[in-house]
Amino acid sequence: MTGQSIGLTTARRRRGGWVAPLMIGAVVILLAALWSGLVHLGLPLPSGGVSLHKGHGPMMILGFLGTVIALERAVALGARWAYIGPAAAALGGLGVLFAVPDGVPQMLVTVGGLALVGVFVAVDRIQRSLHNFVLASGAVCWVVAGCLWLSGWEVYEFLPWMAGFLVLTITGERLELSRLTGTSTTGRRLFMVAAAVFAAGLVVSTVTEDAGVRLAGIGLLCLALWLGRYDIARRTVRTKGLTRYMAAALLTGYAWMAVAGILWIVFGRLTAAVSHQASYDAMLHALFLGFVISMIFAHAPIIIPSVLGRPLPYHPVLYVPLALLHLSLLLRLILGDAVDNTVAWQWGGILNEVALLLFMVIVVYRLFLHKPTRRRTRSAAA
Amino acid sequence: MSVTEWLHGDADVWMIQDLLRGVIDPEVGVDIVNLGLIYGLSVSPDGAATIRMTLTTPGCPLSGYMDDAVHDVLWGAPGINSVDLQIVWDPPWDTSMMSVQAKRELGWIR
Repeated sequence: MTGQSIGLTTARRRRGGWVAPLMIGAVVILLAALWSGLVHLGLPLPSGGVSLHKGHGPMMILGFLGTVIALERAVALGARWAYIGPAAAALGGLGVLFAVPDGVPQMLVTVGGLALVGVFVAVDRIQRSLHNFVLASGAVCWVVAGCLWLSGWEVYEFLPWMAGFLVLTITGERLELSRLTGTSTTGRRLFMVAAAVFAAGLVVSTVTEDAGVRLAGIGLLCLALWLGRYDIARRTVRTKGLTRYMAAALLTGYAWMAVAGILWIVFGRLTAAVSHQASYDAMLHALFLGFVISMIFAHAPIIIPSVLGRPLPYHPVLYVPLALLHLSLLLRLILGDAVDNTVAWQWGGILNEVALLLFMVIVVYRLFLHKPTRRRTRSAAA
Repeated sequence: MSVTEWLHGDADVWMIQDLLRGVIDPEVGVDIVNLGLIYGLSVSPDGAATIRMTLTTPGCPLSGYMDDAVHDVLWGAPGINSVDLQIVWDPPWDTSMMSVQAKRELGWIR
């Protein structure tokens, strides 16, 4: 058995040497955005400058999540040019952190979004599909958000487009997987109606904020209901291990998406110069923390190994940061935003960040320090 | 096939297929053989295994994960000295390629 060798040919070809630096860049952007988040919560910390303070949202969404999403797609496609997406998004996010001249970070993240659109065009040429069209639409939302940012719009003015990037990216993936449970043509049509309403809301929001955000909220609520009805997680939550953990994170995320939809319908306005205005805080974080970060927690155990080529063995301890994320978000939105208790709001926000950091610590430990038995045997044999 | 026969035998496509049943799509909870993702298996006399497989969609972020998982389950298998994993898109995967067992597990058949 000693003489045997298995060549990891295809995976190694796909993963360029720049994957690890890009992941490190994404983590640096995340940490900076989390710092900025604490400052927004009103904690007595150095603000890190105007660029970092104002750039909290774009850094998290276009910088961190943009880098990670574009990177997973670049690895999957395996084309060198596809790495322009994560590289540009990472440089843009770091540009905000290091306060490079205004316009440069905006330009870079927009280029990142364009490269991601290019990836979906390439995928379309391999195989045309409805879900790929939805994913591409999400990337177009990223580009629109980047262009609006570049042209001097305030962050809260193009927030619906950043939401569009993440919502359409995630729901496009779920639409693809819904085929495996035999979703009917009617079911797929219902998805397209909900997604079209959401997209129409984004477009309207650039002209008439109130009506646009409410329309997008209707779309969000419909998409959440669709996911609750048709998503494969409804079935896989009855399994065990990693598959069950993923389903639990997905389903709780869908609940937050529905909450976000209701909040968008009720309040209808994102415009708020003061970031801790209660309705603004709730509308944003129900979606970006409750829905999006829950999706990240769900998929990280399979996407990180896929991107880095290192095993990340599942352990039930992953439920701890997941539960903390959702419970602290309840604290933030109910006792903080709804009851208008600043201390509860701050504690909720801090614990949101603790959940994210705890998740990262667990992932890093299991990636680099935990030694699975099978791999040890493999090394010994080699 | 007994364990003793398996350990001392030559590699064959049935053995490879059995091993590939250990590669589970973690999102779905069903293995890649029952999902119908394996299009072709062959093994040469010198122990070079060739696997032609697809994914449910091109650009799937799980491709690297699947690639590693396939190599992992085949590592150390008797008679296999190297693995050539080819990911192909023709014919495009569709749900008719899933086995009855997969459909049962995913709720198509009650």
